[in-house]
Amino acid sequence: MIFLRRQVPLLITLITGLVFAGQYYVPHPASEQMLTSVTKWLQIIGGFALVLGVSSLFHVHAVKIRRKEAGWGYSFVLYVGMLGTIAIGLWSNGKEAVDGAMTAFGWIYNFMMVPLQSTMFAILAFFIASAAYRSFRARSREAAVLLIAAVIVMMGRVPLGEYLIPLSGDLSQWILNVLNASVRRAILIGVSLGTVALSIKIIFGMERSYLGGGKE
Amino acid sequence: MTFTERMLKIDRRIIFLVIGLCTLLPLLYPVGLPIKISQEVRGVYDHIESLPEGSTFLLSLDFDPASKPELHPQSISLLHHAFRKKLRVIALTLWVSGTGMADQVVTQVAREMGKENGKDYVFLGWSPGGTAVIINMGQDLYGAFPADYNGKPTKGLPVLQGVQSLRDVNYAVSLGAGRPGVEEWYVFGRDKYKFELGGGCTGVMAPGLYPLLRSGQINGLIGGLRGAAEYETLMDQKGKAIAGMDAQSATHLAIIVLVIMCNLFYFSSRSRARQQGQAGA
Repeated sequence: MIFLRRQVPLLITLITGLVFAGQYYVPHPASEQMLTSVTKWLQIIGGFALVLGVSSLFHVHAVKIRRKEAGWGYSFVLYVGMLGTIAIGLWSNGKEAVDGAMTAFGWIYNFMMVPLQSTMFAILAFFIASAAYRSFRARSREAAVLLIAAVIVMMGRVPLGEYLIPLSGDLSQWILNVLNASVRRAILIGVSLGTVALSIKIIFGMERSYLGGGKE
Repeated sequence: MTFTERMLKIDRRIIFLVIGLCTLLPLLYPVGLPIKISQEVRGVYDHIESLPEGSTFLLSLDFDPASKPELHPQSISLLHHAFRKKLRVIALTLWVSGTGMADQVVTQVAREMGKENGKDYVFLGWSPGGTAVIINMGQDLYGAFPADYNGKPTKGLPVLQGVQSLRDVNYAVSLGAGRPGVEEWYVFGRDKYKFELGGGCTGVMAPGLYPLLRSGQINGLIGGLRGAAEYETLMDQKGKAIAGMDAQSATHLAIIVLVIMCNLFYFSSRSRARQQGQAGA
């Protein structure tokens, strides 16, 4: 059993990892055909992952409701919402509108999901303003630099700021294009090198945490 | 408790009220300050302008309703521009929760511009797999999307004539609110299949995409509501983004004033505490 649980996944990872790392550099039609087939598999697996995710969500909340854990009422609401949406979605054939007429699924989408998600995001503006007032203080030199940069960018990104301080637009562009881009690029290169190192470790079986820690 | 201490511990509901008023009042009484066009936004606009009639334009609407205020105006402007230039539009989304919204915006703008589904544009909908969908489209577009959002087979659609994969797309723009988004379209799409790519994103994401912009990996970037307003200005078409700029100006200014005030109170209370400490010693 250890062979099936450990060696086989490691072997699959090693072979597919090496083959597809090499595939990028081989433009032969056979190599391209292989990539086409595999990406189709990936799409199919992606669909199954969605089913797995939904069923796992159902399971977690079913346990919460059965045990009457704290906040089980929310789990119940989630159950009702999800089952209701799935049923109506299937009934509407997954379409929000048919020939310009809104379906029941479209009604849920347009009048529940869209305003709820938009509201959640819009609330952020209020909390950001409150958090900025409470914590954006020049306690050190570094904090002062951050504060000045933030004020310049905030001024330069809106017409009123550019109207009051005409230089703020160009200054904010310079901060974004030069300072921000160079630091971001350095971080990006670091992250990419880390990803390459981690990929090599996974391909050659040095990193095995993805196999899980079940009993052998 | 002194005045400065009281101000430092101000009730947050007052801040919420200030921000609420700064958003609401400019929407009710717009000022309409001039909007300066940045090079990033002009990059996308100029590239679409340079495309000859009948070119293939791919628009990936990779966002959900949470980012609607910023990315919806961007998609409207881009679709208007593409249809005005008589480009063949291929739209899709990599975000399942944005499918309905993407379908609505594409259908609405196409109807306004008198465009025909299947002939002038197609909405492919959503397909599972995220970045795998991009690679699959790069290999074989019909394999990734055998049918469009309405279930019509994609093979044989006049709008897709001569398009086998992403290699045949003249210009692609991803309007992304996260992952998968602009960066994934570059890494898994443009890098391998060599098509020209532009981007659009929310305001908070824009600084993170500047390295791609500066290195030419994307040829333009529409950042947030400001970017959308710039595009509307270029299109000479007043929309929701231009209308929202006054509100954004006011809230930015309010936050700057709040930050300056809090720092003044902070330094004032700190120097007072220092003076009291010296007097005590």
